[in-house]
Amino acid sequence: MIEDALEFDADKTIVTDVCVVGAGAAGISLTLELAARGVHVLLLESGGREAEERTQRLYEGSVADERMHSPPHRYRQRRFGGSTTIWGGRCVPFDEIDFEQRFYVEHSGWPLQRAELLPFYVRANQLCEAGEFEYRATAAFKRTLRPLIAGFESEHFTTDCLERFSSPTDFGARYARRLQESPYVRVLLHANLTAIRLGIGGTSVQSLLSRTFSQRVITVQASRFVLAMGAIEIARLLLSSRDTHLQGIGNQHDCVGRYYMCHIAGTVGTLIQNRAVDNVWHGYDVSDEGIFCRRRFALTSQTQRRLQLGNFIGRLHHPRITDPAHRSAVLSALQLAKGLISYEYGKRLHGEERLSAARWLGHVRNVIVGAGQVIAFGHHMLRDRFLAARKFPSIIVRSPAGRYSLDFHAEQEPLAASRVTLTEERDEFDTPRVMIDWHYSALDLKTVRESVRLFAQDIERCGIGRFEYDPESIESEMLRYGAYGGHHLGTTRMGSDVRTSVVDLNCRVHGVDNLYVAGGAVFPTSSQANPTLTIVALAVRLAEHLQAAALRERASVLA
Amino acid sequence: MTQSVLVLGANGFIGRAVVAGLAQSESLVPILGVRNPSGSSTQTLEKRTVDATDAQSVAAAISGVDGIVNCVAGDAQTIVNSTKALIEAASSANIAPRIVQLSTMSVYGSSIGVVDEASPLRGDLGAYSKAKVAAEALASGYPRVVTLRPGCVFGPDSEQWTVRYARLLLARRLGDLGSAGDGYCNLVHIGDVVQAVVRALESPQADGRVFNLAAPEALTWNDFLVRFAVALSAVPARRIGARRLRIEGKLLAPPLKILEIVADKLGLRPPPPPIPPSLLRLMAQGIRLDSRRAQEELGVCFKGTEQMLTEAAQWYLSSA
Repeated sequence: MIEDALEFDADKTIVTDVCVVGAGAAGISLTLELAARGVHVLLLESGGREAEERTQRLYEGSVADERMHSPPHRYRQRRFGGSTTIWGGRCVPFDEIDFEQRFYVEHSGWPLQRAELLPFYVRANQLCEAGEFEYRATAAFKRTLRPLIAGFESEHFTTDCLERFSSPTDFGARYARRLQESPYVRVLLHANLTAIRLGIGGTSVQSLLSRTFSQRVITVQASRFVLAMGAIEIARLLLSSRDTHLQGIGNQHDCVGRYYMCHIAGTVGTLIQNRAVDNVWHGYDVSDEGIFCRRRFALTSQTQRRLQLGNFIGRLHHPRITDPAHRSAVLSALQLAKGLISYEYGKRLHGEERLSAARWLGHVRNVIVGAGQVIAFGHHMLRDRFLAARKFPSIIVRSPAGRYSLDFHAEQEPLAASRVTLTEERDEFDTPRVMIDWHYSALDLKTVRESVRLFAQDIERCGIGRFEYDPESIESEMLRYGAYGGHHLGTTRMGSDVRTSVVDLNCRVHGVDNLYVAGGAVFPTSSQANPTLTIVALAVRLAEHLQAAALRERASVLA
Repeated sequence: MTQSVLVLGANGFIGRAVVAGLAQSESLVPILGVRNPSGSSTQTLEKRTVDATDAQSVAAAISGVDGIVNCVAGDAQTIVNSTKALIEAASSANIAPRIVQLSTMSVYGSSIGVVDEASPLRGDLGAYSKAKVAAEALASGYPRVVTLRPGCVFGPDSEQWTVRYARLLLARRLGDLGSAGDGYCNLVHIGDVVQAVVRALESPQADGRVFNLAAPEALTWNDFLVRFAVALSAVPARRIGARRLRIEGKLLAPPLKILEIVADKLGLRPPPPPIPPSLLRLMAQGIRLDSRRAQEELGVCFKGTEQMLTEAAQWYLSSA
């Protein structure tokens, strides 16, 4: 059942087994999985089925350095479906090394291993509609795939790895019907969590208070509560719930909001090939189940250990779009059409550079010369992206000169100083707004610098050509757009040591019996992988844990 | 000691398979009950001409048989009338024969969730489901009836659930349907239906029992469509959006249905199959047959999905 709290004509108290807050990737997956296991769930969602400005404004806050992090109301969607309403759909599981404690990565190590997460990854892959859980290219494809770069062989990088693309699935639209039909589910839209009330002693949650714009108060009583919002919002609510614990819930050791991570990403260098023919394949391979897959250059775990680096992957990418010297009519057209592309996607495409008149003319020239290509590309995007039910995931443009840049996505080391805090400002419901102070570490820079160096070295050694880049520019390139947008992680990290973590192995907040966290907030480290698939896998795992807890409870009541 | 078993509707898809299955068993001897004796190709088996909707004709056909399998297919009226005639005839026989009544999951109508044999019969999805509920009600008055409620009967020769889907997948008109394909497909292999029929005839305790028949794996229509597409090499499987499905159901289905009827009448090659709104509704319906009783009481061992899909794909591709 899906209800709208704005239609309530009086305050309400709702009693349920499990209350989940936030209908995004984590909350919807968790709710579906609990319902499938016969557990009654109330799913609270602040927004409605469409984006609403007034609701979205509740996300506003500030950042310590605008160059380092996008404003808090960007990349996050406060609505049914959460940020899956705008995500790109890239699904990648974490690697085994991501779960390990690595002495050279401070605060690394998960309290669980990858193998323990595997069965949940399989289910998560289905929920994300990314086909079978097989991320080795050679196992996923029976046919031989065209190499990423003919002749590329490396002891540092493997290309036998995939990223798979979700539709991209908007979890709200995709699963509304299942939520609507399930006898175990009650979804409440337009209900904003405003307070977490602890019981006497402060060791368990007694109730949640949520409010509507129509001034209704909905009180929720449940056996268990799960915060399934994004990492920034969870930190905000735990920190602002100060009725019982002055420092906020779960924050006895000042960990909530700390270790805030995104990813380190950027585009560097130019691959210049020796041979006249273009030996690069940087596009998608479609699997038999119809899933867009893409291979990448992944830094092997052996290399990471040997050189003491964080996790890293790279993909070949079209040249920087802003400079018309690429001579690509399509890229120039995209540059000129800048105004039509959303903030979230435009940021890394065009940057915020202002175009000089000369460059503008250069782009116009490219478009006129290659008008046919622009039309063909427009047709491809219209058919395969805008009108297709499974969308072509990104812009893939072959470079007229056979030149490509390296797009990278790397792990960020968890730092206590990188954090989300509260400010004096408050939102419409009187909840303090956040301040984001994101930091990266020397290791992060070393990871990118060394990985790019190894890549350039391997290109040269294989006789492919050369990879030109300025080693001095690595830091500025990786920070050109600041922290990678949308991947907000780690503010209530998982761990067994209460001094450096907020939730335990089962995602339960230390010291609070019945309060759990689902979502990227619990990640102790960030991996090279995009987080959604792992967020969903952890939600499925949490469903199993909560079901077992509910069963134990019922058994003890009967005994 | 062998039992003679009259198969009513022996020329139909399920009837033919049942006859073949019985012929292979050691204790059961099939007798074909057919409306038109010329059409059948089996020479060695006994054949009786019968009008299944006429009690007198049925009474004559069932004389001396130990069991009857009712596979009569047809419109709503035929379904009800044939069951009525059969029960009347069987009730006045000297020794009451065992009847195996082929019903359908459609008797549960629009139900969703896990459905076992005790779940209410809604019969609210059109004339067919209503008629099948009525037929079951008629049959339940007879003490020696075993009722089988198969899901979608899959396998070689299944026009509805195998050939039609193979054609639609190869034409790329079906694939992953998103939320429109979240229903469970409750496939059951034709061989498993036959197995259940044989066990029902052989099992002395089965009188008055009802059994759901569906492979135990919880397979959604999306899973089925994508996996069957892969088995058929109709790859890459397509994602079909809501817009496209609306066009299929509302715009294309009616003319295609008319074409299908016309082609059938004139004996032409079948045109592309329609995807009617009723089929779209079924593929979104979260109904899941619980078939544990058939496994436990009849000892039916259901075929695995992967094997079922691979074999059917091979059969289709080699026969097409």
